[in-house]
Amino acid sequence: MINSFLILIGRIISKISSILNLGSGSTWPGHIALNLNPKFIRQTINRNPDLKVILTVGTNGKTTTSKLIKHLLEQEKIKVFYNESGANLLNGIASSIIKHSTLNGSLNYDVALFEVDENILPLMLNETEPQGLVILNLFRDQLDRYGEVNTIANKWSNAISKLTKSILFINGDDPKLTHIAKESKLKSYFFGLDESKMIKRDLPHDVDSVYCPSCQNKLNFKKIAYSHLGDFICPNCEFKKEKTHTFVEIKPPLPGTYNVYNTNAAALLVKKLFGIDEKKIQKYLDNFKPAFGRQEIFEIEGKKIMVLLSKNPTGFNQSIEMVMEMKQDDDNILIILNDRIPDGRDVSWIWDVDFEEFIDDMDNMFISGDRTYDMALRLKYANSSKSQKSKIKSQNYNLKLKTFENLNEAIKIALEELPRNEILYILPTYSAMLEVRKILTGKKIL
Amino acid sequence: MNKNYLPKAIRHSLTIGWLYPDLMSTYGDRGNIIVLQKRCEWRNIEVKILHLNPGFDHKLLATCNMLFMGGAQDKQQQIVAQDLKKEKVETLKKMVDDGVPGLYICGAYQLLGKYYKEADGTKILGLGIFDLYTENPGENHPRLIGNIIAELAGSTWQVADGKKTTSYAPQATRHIVGFENHGGRTYLGKNVKPFAKVIKGFGNNGEDGTEGAIYKNAIGTYLHGPILPKNPEIADYLIKKALEVKYKDEIGLEDLDDSLEQKAKEIIEKRYNVKV
Repeated sequence: MINSFLILIGRIISKISSILNLGSGSTWPGHIALNLNPKFIRQTINRNPDLKVILTVGTNGKTTTSKLIKHLLEQEKIKVFYNESGANLLNGIASSIIKHSTLNGSLNYDVALFEVDENILPLMLNETEPQGLVILNLFRDQLDRYGEVNTIANKWSNAISKLTKSILFINGDDPKLTHIAKESKLKSYFFGLDESKMIKRDLPHDVDSVYCPSCQNKLNFKKIAYSHLGDFICPNCEFKKEKTHTFVEIKPPLPGTYNVYNTNAAALLVKKLFGIDEKKIQKYLDNFKPAFGRQEIFEIEGKKIMVLLSKNPTGFNQSIEMVMEMKQDDDNILIILNDRIPDGRDVSWIWDVDFEEFIDDMDNMFISGDRTYDMALRLKYANSSKSQKSKIKSQNYNLKLKTFENLNEAIKIALEELPRNEILYILPTYSAMLEVRKILTGKKIL
Repeated sequence: MNKNYLPKAIRHSLTIGWLYPDLMSTYGDRGNIIVLQKRCEWRNIEVKILHLNPGFDHKLLATCNMLFMGGAQDKQQQIVAQDLKKEKVETLKKMVDDGVPGLYICGAYQLLGKYYKEADGTKILGLGIFDLYTENPGENHPRLIGNIIAELAGSTWQVADGKKTTSYAPQATRHIVGFENHGGRTYLGKNVKPFAKVIKGFGNNGEDGTEGAIYKNAIGTYLHGPILPKNPEIADYLIKKALEVKYKDEIGLEDLDDSLEQKAKEIIEKRYNVKV
């Protein structure tokens, strides 16, 4: 009874806030519902025994993977709803339930798909035991908010150990996640990158998971995809990579190695839980559209802009690698570093990004955001030693860097200077990505 | 050019020992190493970075002219503690006492103290190089997280400045900025001086207004962000001291253009209305 009332209230709030264009309408209804009834999520899900719940969690790729799963299921005529627009805390999940349920609390869908914030996963698993839990990866991200990687891994492991029926879909190239799956005794499927696509190289420095999660010895990596994802084995206790599903026959709809993981995670889930085969998956993927700010392309007065959300070291390295892959002679890049709550207040992570590997190839760099100069400094110090040595007293590297504290101005000038046939790549943190979209779609700058 | 500048023909060189980069490198810590390396290279000072990971030969330590050690996760700190056997600790102690400059951040800062007391009362012994101890008040007390602005404790500590090539004349106190994120509260003993005085933020314990510690030329601090990019005067202090201890002579450093560094610092000062 109370839940019907909460759903009604929630709907009214959404309506009002969308009419008044107040924004943040997407989490308020759930926020209020949970305040008045902390069991709202559990009760509404329990009321719908036929509803399958699927959760996706991980540092990077939650939104893209969820979009992929949703798309694949919908193509198969399975009805699915999803907590869109990154509302991935409990209030966002409750809001999504309110939005999609009837007034008496029925959810007329086959699948409820939720992307879940890393910190929230244990709370969410208290509310419901999902049919499928996809764990994509665990990288350093917003240490001020999430704490250290081991803290998150322990929280996940504890929460998952209480589950009895869920099926896990795990990135098998990640040692910590593999360990969590093996400890859990739940049925687990592993996805990964085909070894032929991994390369032999040194582990990058930003790795948090290179010690054996079982016995603390240093792991041997035969090959690496990126960061600590790869083909690992412990020389001491023989903990090693499981055989993974790599779907080599499927072509991911988005570029970048990380999207191979996202695609394989989605493919494995829909194959095992819904029996959709590889042939169909490929066919369905051909008309997939990317999520907000994830390789999203905008066209403004005939000029092309591609936005690549870059919010932590691993994600940023992947964005850079992708820009280097895609760009021709053009290299117009705008990096935006904000330090608001959704970005993490601590910007020290930019020093874990490997700018060194590409900075000397870049001629046209624009920098903006709350922490414009922190980013400019990072790039100044990323310049190769050789080119600096020749100009010792005048290390005025900012010659190449155009800094703008005002984002509107940065985008305006970057676009003005952009030659017609080239692409402007924008690499923003999360809140900066939202700002960029607002500016580009509102076309405020033109 | 001032005669005290490094003559171009003479190539000074420094070896910087980075203690446990595989384990103690959590908050963009390698940024500090990058800054030290670049600021040496831009001045024609040859620099070698030694990565001292578990199992390293303790004799390597003694070849270093400067040491750096960053923060870590608890689990990784245990591996480090196991590796820091008697010989290594003794060498490290002697080096610090001999004035070898060093920068020890967060977890490393705590490790160099006398002990770390866990919330349940368990005492983990530190290396006893800094006269200080750290206590974790437990989960009911929040971690100390946020931007921090502090003022270098001017009377005990002078910043090397490229413009003043002949001496470390005390200057007007200067601000340093960074980001802190620690659960432990550190309390200083008599034999160390605070590194800085907190203007905005928490510092050692959120109570007594001190931030970090300085003993001889070794600096312990909770500032990451990392600390050196936005506070290049600290980087230069370490470089200058390292050269002077190595070459047993007073050495001036060439000026570098730090205008971007200054702007990055000012953004934070302005945000908290701290007068520059």
